[in-house]
Amino acid sequence: MESQLGKDIVRVEAKDKVTGTAKYTNDLDDSPMLYAKLLTSSCAHAKIISIDTGTASAMPGVKAVITAKDFYILCGSLFRDRPPLAFNKVRYFGEPVAIVIAEDEEKAKKAVDKIYITYEPLTVVNSISDALKKKPVLIHEDMMSYKKSITEVYPEKGTNICHHQKIRKGDMEKGWDDSDVIMEGEFSLPQSDHAAMETRSTRCIVMPDENVIIKSSSQVPYAIKELISKYLGIPEGRVIVRVPLVGGGFGGKATVQLEVLAVIAAMHVKGKWVNLTNTREEDLVTSPCHLGLNGYIKIGAKSSGKITAAEMRFYIDTGAYSDTSPKLAKAIAVECAGPYHIPNIQCDCYSVYTNHPYVTSYRGFGHEAHAFCLERTMDKLAAKLGMDPFELRLLNVAHDGDLKPTQVKVTTSNTGNITECLNRLRNLIKWDEGSRIVEGNHIIRAKGISCLIKTSDTPQNAGAAAILTFNSDGSVNLNCGAVEIGPGMKTTVAQILADKMKMNIKDIFIKMEVDTQSSPLYWKTVASMTTHMVGYAVINAAKDALNQLLNLASIALRCPVSDLDYENKMIYVKHDPSFYITFKDLVQGYKYPDGNSIHGPVIGRGSYVMNHLTILDKETGKGKAGLSWTVGAQAVEIEYDTRQHTYRLLKAATVIDAGKVINPKTARGVITGGMCMGLGLGTCEDFIYDENAITENTSFRTYKMIRYGENPKYLVDFVETPQIDTPYGSRGIGEHGIIGIPAALANAVSLAAQIDVTSLPVTPEYIWREKTKNDSV
Amino acid sequence: MIPFDFDYYRPDSMEKAYECYQSLSQMNKRPMYYGGGTEIISMARVKSIEFDAVIDLKAIPQCNTLEINNGYFVMGAAQTLTNIAEFNAFPLLSKTVKRIADHTIQDKLTIGGNLAGTIKYREASLPLMISNCKLQVMTVKGITEIPFNKLFDGRLQLESGDFLIAILIDQNQLNCPYSHVKKTRNEKIDYPLISMAAMKDGSTLKAAITGYGEKPCLIPEKILNHKSYSIDQKIKKIITQLHSECKSDLSGSLEYREFVLQNILQELLEHFRPTDFILK
Repeated sequence: MESQLGKDIVRVEAKDKVTGTAKYTNDLDDSPMLYAKLLTSSCAHAKIISIDTGTASAMPGVKAVITAKDFYILCGSLFRDRPPLAFNKVRYFGEPVAIVIAEDEEKAKKAVDKIYITYEPLTVVNSISDALKKKPVLIHEDMMSYKKSITEVYPEKGTNICHHQKIRKGDMEKGWDDSDVIMEGEFSLPQSDHAAMETRSTRCIVMPDENVIIKSSSQVPYAIKELISKYLGIPEGRVIVRVPLVGGGFGGKATVQLEVLAVIAAMHVKGKWVNLTNTREEDLVTSPCHLGLNGYIKIGAKSSGKITAAEMRFYIDTGAYSDTSPKLAKAIAVECAGPYHIPNIQCDCYSVYTNHPYVTSYRGFGHEAHAFCLERTMDKLAAKLGMDPFELRLLNVAHDGDLKPTQVKVTTSNTGNITECLNRLRNLIKWDEGSRIVEGNHIIRAKGISCLIKTSDTPQNAGAAAILTFNSDGSVNLNCGAVEIGPGMKTTVAQILADKMKMNIKDIFIKMEVDTQSSPLYWKTVASMTTHMVGYAVINAAKDALNQLLNLASIALRCPVSDLDYENKMIYVKHDPSFYITFKDLVQGYKYPDGNSIHGPVIGRGSYVMNHLTILDKETGKGKAGLSWTVGAQAVEIEYDTRQHTYRLLKAATVIDAGKVINPKTARGVITGGMCMGLGLGTCEDFIYDENAITENTSFRTYKMIRYGENPKYLVDFVETPQIDTPYGSRGIGEHGIIGIPAALANAVSLAAQIDVTSLPVTPEYIWREKTKNDSV
Repeated sequence: MIPFDFDYYRPDSMEKAYECYQSLSQMNKRPMYYGGGTEIISMARVKSIEFDAVIDLKAIPQCNTLEINNGYFVMGAAQTLTNIAEFNAFPLLSKTVKRIADHTIQDKLTIGGNLAGTIKYREASLPLMISNCKLQVMTVKGITEIPFNKLFDGRLQLESGDFLIAILIDQNQLNCPYSHVKKTRNEKIDYPLISMAAMKDGSTLKAAITGYGEKPCLIPEKILNHKSYSIDQKIKKIITQLHSECKSDLSGSLEYREFVLQNILQELLEHFRPTDFILK
C-alpha cells in the first residue's frame, strides 16, 4: 500500500474551519455563564495606596469584585515572582489589579469603571539601560526570596537581573591572538506581540463536587492542570482542562495567566461558568508579549575569514515578570555561535526586569532576535574582509566532530546539512546575478541572507503519549495531548499512524479537542516538537496495537506471528495471502466460530521522552539542551528607493533541512507563515512606550503588522538529511521560518542603502536617519 | 462591546432627523449623528466617546445620492467610500478614499463620517479642499448650501444639530489632471505620515495635505504656481511656511515629515511643470 507520508493531505479540520463551524473557546455554549472583566493598571510602576471597590460591588448584576487582598499567591512557571492580581504595587501598564464578575459583560465592564484606585507613582524602569544602572530602581525588592520551579534560574542580588546564563568554551586569549581582524556591533530590537487572530480566552466552573473545569485557548493544557493544582492547593485530578481548536498561539498561549484569574473568579461564584476573554487591547498589553533584546557581539577572524573567537552579551527586556525569560536566555546562549564553528567563545545572556509588559515564548524562542545580531555581524565581517557573504558563512559552518558552544559534538544526524541549504539558496535567489543591482530611476535591488538554527530547549523530562482505540469496523481512534494551534499537527500525526499501520488515512479518526482527563500527557504544544515527540508516541502506540492484533491473528489463523503481515486493516499469511483476517474481527477481541471469545478490546499505548538531555553547567554552559538542531538558510530581496529611503519587499526565501517532509503543502505553509512573521518584525512590529513606560500602540490601529497584500513572493525549498533518531528522520520546522528573516532583511537594507542596520524594525525613517547621520560625518 | 446603553433612531427624512436631534437635546440626552459607525463603535468600545442616542442618517434618500446632476457630481454624506470609488466620477477622490483604512472598512466608512469625525486625518477632504465644491447642510433654516472651504477648517464646522446632506462638486473639475500620494511609516495601510492630493485646474496647480499636523491644510498656492521660483526654491519656501503646522507622532518625527514632504513636492513639481497637461 502506498505510504501516506510525503503527501499533501488536506488537514482533518479544514472543512469545519472554512465553513465557520469550528468552535474555539469563546464560541462554546456553556450555561449558566457569568462574565469576568479585569481592571488593569494605568501606571507602569506605582505603589497601590488604596483600592475602593465599594461602589462597584454594589452595582446591579455584580456578583463579586476580587483584588489581591482577597487572594494573594505568586505564580511563574520558572520563577514565582508574579501575583495574578497586583499586590501593593503595579509593575507594568496593563497589569491586572482587580476582577469583576457580573451577570453579563456590560455590567462587568461598567463596574470595572467604578473601582477607584489611588496610585503613588514610582520611578519607571523604561529600558534595559535604566534597569542596569549602578544603583537601579528595583522592580522586585524581594527577588532573592522568590521560589524557583527549576534549577536553572540564577538571579543576581541587588539588581534587576533575574537570570544570568553563561557559555564558556575554549581559550579566549588564544582565540583573539589567532585573529587578524575584529568585528564588533551593538544591536537592539523592541518588544512586540504575538497578535494571534484569536485573543486569549478562558472559562472556568467550580462544580459542587469541587471539580474545577477549565476551558482555555492554550498551548499547555497539562501545565494549566499542574500549575493550578500547585498554586491553589487543589488535588490535581480535580482540575480538568479542555482545549478545543486554538486560533493561533505562536508561543503566546504557553503562559498560564488568564486561567489562574478565571479559577480565582469561579471560586467566588461556585456552580457557574465564568468567562474571561481578552479584548484585543488586553491581549496586546495585559497578556505577555515577545521579548525585546539588546545585544553586543565581538568576533575575531583570520584574514582567510575563519572565525577564531567570539564574545557576546545579550540582555532580554523581560518586562515586569520573569515568566519564560530565563529559558529564552538559555536558548540564546546555547545557540550563540549560530550554525558556525567558533572554537573559542564566551557568552553572557541576562534576563532583565523592566516596567514593560512581561515576555513569554514566541515563535523562534529568542533565536530570531539573536540571529539578527549574529547574522548582521557576519555580513559586516564579510564586508570588512572583502568576502562574499555566502563564502564567509560556508567557510565557518560547523561540521561533524566540531563542538557546539555547550560542547556537544556536531553530527550530520543531529545538525543536518547547512552547506547544502546555503548552496541551494544561492541558486534560488540568483545570488550570482549580483546582490546589489542598480536598476536606475533611483531604484536599487538588493538581497540579504541569513542562516538559521534552533534546537528544542525543552525540559529534560518533557514527554508525550498516545492512545489508540478501535471501532467495530476496524478503523482507529487516535487520542493525543497535542493542541491544534494551526499548523495541522493532528493531521501530521494521523499520517504517521496511517503509515505505521499501513492503513488509509480515512480510517484514522483523531480527537481534535484535548481533555486532560482523557487525553494522555503531552508536555506542551511548543518548541516545534510535536511531530517528533507525539509522532514517536504514536509510532509506539501503533507497534503496541499491532503486536496485540498480530498475536490474536496468529491464534485465529493458526500460524506463528512471524508468518504474518498486515495492510489495509487486514492481517494475512505472507506465503498465502488468501489466508487472512480483517481488523474488524480482531479489534474487539477474537471470537472463535463456536462463540468462545478471547482478549477483549485492543488498546494501543505509546510513550516517548527524549533521552540524554542534561541541565547546563552554571559556569560554562556545558551540557545538552536538545537532541538535535534544525538548520536552514534564508534570504530577502528588496527594492530600495535611494531618494525616499523607502523599500518594497520582492522575495523572501527559505531553504531548510527538514530531515523528512511529511506533508509538503503544510510544511511549505508553516515555513511561509514564519517568514511572514519575520518580515513583520523586520519592517513594522514594535511596542512604543512613552516616558512613563505606558504602551502607546495598544490596538491594531497603531500596532502594525504585515497585511495580506504586502507579502512578497515566497520561495521554499527543503533539504532532507534524516535525523536518525526521529520518526522518519524528520526535524522540527514549526517556528523556524521566522528566525533568519529579520536579519536577512536588515542585511538587504544595509547593502542597498549602504548603512549599518543595528535595530528593528527597519522603517524608512530609520534608514533616513542613518543616511543623514552618515552625511553629516 | 459598548459598555453603556443608548437609543437608536433611523429617521427617513432630513426634517425628522433634525427634529429628532433637537428633541433629544431638549431632553438633556446626548445625541450623535451616525453614518458608517466605524469611528463611533470603536471609540465607544473604549469609552473615548459617550452618548445617549445615535441618529442613523443612512435611511435619508438625500444622504444617499450618488449622481451627476445639473453640472455637479452630487455625493450624499452617507455614501460609503467603496461606492464613491466604484462610481468613480471624480478619479482623484476615488484614488484618495481607496487609501483610507482597508477595503472592509471602506465598505462601511461614509464620506460624511470621514469629514465630520474625530480622527484628525480626514483624507477624503483633500480633493474637496482643492476643487470647486459646496456642501448641502441641514440647518435650523432648512437646507443650506455653503462653499466647502467656508465650512471646512480642518474639520466640518457645523452648528450643534446641523448635519451634512451632500457634497456637490463642479463637474468641470472632475477630470482635471491630478495626483495622489500617501506616505506612511512603512505599511501600505496605516494613518498617513503625509497624504497629498493635487490637481491642475487650468494652469493652476493646487494641493492639500494631511497627516502633517493636527489637521488637513492647503499647500500655499502662490508658491506652488510662482512664475520665477525654481522647484528647489518652491520646496524650501513651502517647508518653511508650513513648519509651524508640522508635528511629531507615532508614525514619524517632525524632521522626517519635512523630509517626506520635500520628496513628495519634488515629484509633484517635476510631474506638473507649467507646460505639462498630461493626465498622471
